[in-house]
Amino acid sequence: MSTLKLDRRSFLATSGAIGTAGFFGLPLFAGEAMAQVKKLIVRVDSDINLLDPAYMVGGSEIEIQKAVLPALVEFDDADGSYGWRPSAYVEKFEQRDDTHFDFTLKSGFMWTGGNGELTAEDVKYSYERMKTGDWKGNFEQLDRVEVTDKYSGTLVLSQPFAPFVIIALASGTGGILSKAAMAKVEGEKYTTEIPATCGPYLFEWVPQQKFVFKANPDWTGPKPAFEEVECLIIQEGSAAELAFEAGEVMATKISAATHARYLETPPANSTVTVAGALQYMWLGMNTENEKLADIKVRQAIQHAVDAQQVIDGAYSGTTAKSNGIICPGLIGHRTATKYSYDPAKAQALLAEAGVSGLELELKTLNVQERVLAAQIIQAQLQAVGITVKVIPVDEGPFWEMGDQEKGDYKNLQLWLMRFGTNTDPYEATQWFTSDQVGVWNWERWKDEEFDRLYKEGQVESDEAKRAEIYLRMQEIMEDTGAYVWINHEPETFVHRADLKITVMPSGEMIWRDFKSA
Amino acid sequence: MSAIPSDSAPARREAEGWIKLRRLLANWQGMTGLVLVLLFFASAIFAPLVATHDPFALDIPARLSGPTLEHWAGTDQLGRDTYSRVIYGGRVALQVAAIGISVSLVFGLLLGMLAGFGPRWLDNFLLLLFDVVRSFPTIVMALAAVALLGPSLNLVLAIVIVTTIPGYARLVRTATLALKNTEFILAERALGVGTARILWRHVTPNVIGPMFILAAMDVPVVVTVEAGLSFLGLGVLPPTASWGSILNEGYLLIRETPWPVVAAGVPLVLTTLGFTFLGEALRDIFDPRLGKGR
Repeated sequence: MSTLKLDRRSFLATSGAIGTAGFFGLPLFAGEAMAQVKKLIVRVDSDINLLDPAYMVGGSEIEIQKAVLPALVEFDDADGSYGWRPSAYVEKFEQRDDTHFDFTLKSGFMWTGGNGELTAEDVKYSYERMKTGDWKGNFEQLDRVEVTDKYSGTLVLSQPFAPFVIIALASGTGGILSKAAMAKVEGEKYTTEIPATCGPYLFEWVPQQKFVFKANPDWTGPKPAFEEVECLIIQEGSAAELAFEAGEVMATKISAATHARYLETPPANSTVTVAGALQYMWLGMNTENEKLADIKVRQAIQHAVDAQQVIDGAYSGTTAKSNGIICPGLIGHRTATKYSYDPAKAQALLAEAGVSGLELELKTLNVQERVLAAQIIQAQLQAVGITVKVIPVDEGPFWEMGDQEKGDYKNLQLWLMRFGTNTDPYEATQWFTSDQVGVWNWERWKDEEFDRLYKEGQVESDEAKRAEIYLRMQEIMEDTGAYVWINHEPETFVHRADLKITVMPSGEMIWRDFKSA
Repeated sequence: MSAIPSDSAPARREAEGWIKLRRLLANWQGMTGLVLVLLFFASAIFAPLVATHDPFALDIPARLSGPTLEHWAGTDQLGRDTYSRVIYGGRVALQVAAIGISVSLVFGLLLGMLAGFGPRWLDNFLLLLFDVVRSFPTIVMALAAVALLGPSLNLVLAIVIVTTIPGYARLVRTATLALKNTEFILAERALGVGTARILWRHVTPNVIGPMFILAAMDVPVVVTVEAGLSFLGLGVLPPTASWGSILNEGYLLIRETPWPVVAAGVPLVLTTLGFTFLGEALRDIFDPRLGKGR
């Protein structure tokens, strides 16, 4: 994949670039010149709404915070697994016992805007603040932060919680804010302007166009490989691929179809990196809808859908088949389903339920892969006598469909859903408990055992036992008949072969860790 | 009535009709347009006979193939036959164009005559209404409507109709205003003929000609609006094929295979050209003001 060769595509890309450069009167080798000042140019797929770690949406907002805010620990992909390591800001970060984590910050890290030095008070302020924000789920088990001296302190959990560090601190929610700077902000909440930063870069935002990170002259920590980072906001996937092939950006996220094409004919001088497959997609069924209230009908649908065909047709065969909500590589990942693709059985179940001429609506996000997936499912269900109307829905209404307060949840029948998660199985299970009915549990089932296991899974520290808990939880979900597991879509990136990229398993790039080879 | 020789007027009109038809056939643009339009109608109406495959039949192992003897225009991402989908897509285009244009013609005619012939306040009110509707950008209005109501072909039709009516209505209104004070209309009025009869018997025949020409030239606009909305995923529901939705799928796959874009683009271009040529030729032939100058 990293071999340098001149094929038709690279020839076209090069001539295109030459043509464009000539047209705009740019020096032809601008890209080469940029490489010398150590400037990284990457593509991001969305603009920002909110940069406050307690209230953000995620995605590129996390990427920005990772570049400019301090944290106690950082994501570590060194041995190919999803782990963490103490960050450059700390002397030490250690787990004392099940509920105590001691940290000591290094001295001399200064906040911008004359907001003083990074101290343990900032850590206390930031993490205790998270307990009241939108992302409080990640900090549910944090009881308090005790400050021992200017630089040291202890995070105290209310109960043992094995994945605390990875979920709360190493993920996107681990950013630390300046207490002094936040005190000056009205309501102690901010939107797109971070009151004070403390990182290798200073952040500038050109709305709808780009993020620019220039070197922070006061930075005393380890120098990143690139003095400057420019992130171009390109929403359209195919436009981003063209930009990459023309050499305009050095790294970009790519779709499943492009991944398949790059596996066959890679663009010259490039490498494809798969960051992780922490997404799980399924066909959901509303157990309270009258047409789907009979479990036999739901089971018939489970038997009528061939997920492998969906993966081959809509995802070019590049994604892993799913058997539950726990993604591959995590504790409790399932390797098989209890149901299997069996149209005859599906028909028999429908007959048993006394249902014929069933007509259902299948809603999906209006995204190419999902609309294709929906059409394959439509054809498969047609084969067992269920007529399906596929309805592509735009983002806004889609995410409210099953919301008890906003959406028309009673008439919701079938839908294709994809959730993202992080590296602990606890995260994925939290959306299906009884109190999530009508929030994110759109399938609307309740199960006491599931709720009990959810609590047990959080405090269990024995890996084998945890695995058992999560396997059983997925079995309970499957037994409701409301789920047909589809796939785990990976976060795939293409980048220049001379660039080593660091991406969190949930798909966010960490630019300060990018290296040029 | 008896003063006029009974056979001469229809005979003259018939002869005039023949002359005009011959002029249309002699005009290469008109001829090309006519052939393309007929092809469009024929392929859409006889789609089940012309298509080689079921446009909905999936064949995933054979996905994304180029043109072969089996699949003349290749297959799409789900292995469906692109040629057959394009042929069936023509039906959607025809349906939207035929229903959309004829309904807007009828409403445009009625409202336009009302505005032109009715009282002043009604005229002002209707004009305001037409201009308000015309001031909405079609696509943006469609986006908003779809966000509220969800995508469907009926919604596309409704949007086409609502946005096309004001154009026709304004044309009819102007023509009616011009006729309103002509002597033969004044004479009718003096004779005590009712408004409805004046409009139907005397105004309509005089304004309908230009309307048809305008309609012929509007067909490609409507076809492209439907294709545009379907391209954005706001038109027909999957798996129904429309030229716009095939173009969109093809556009997303353009780096893998160019065939879907070509297969859906060619009929769109030809249909547009066909109706435009035909419309222009008709205008040249039937519009007396243009004819004299030649």
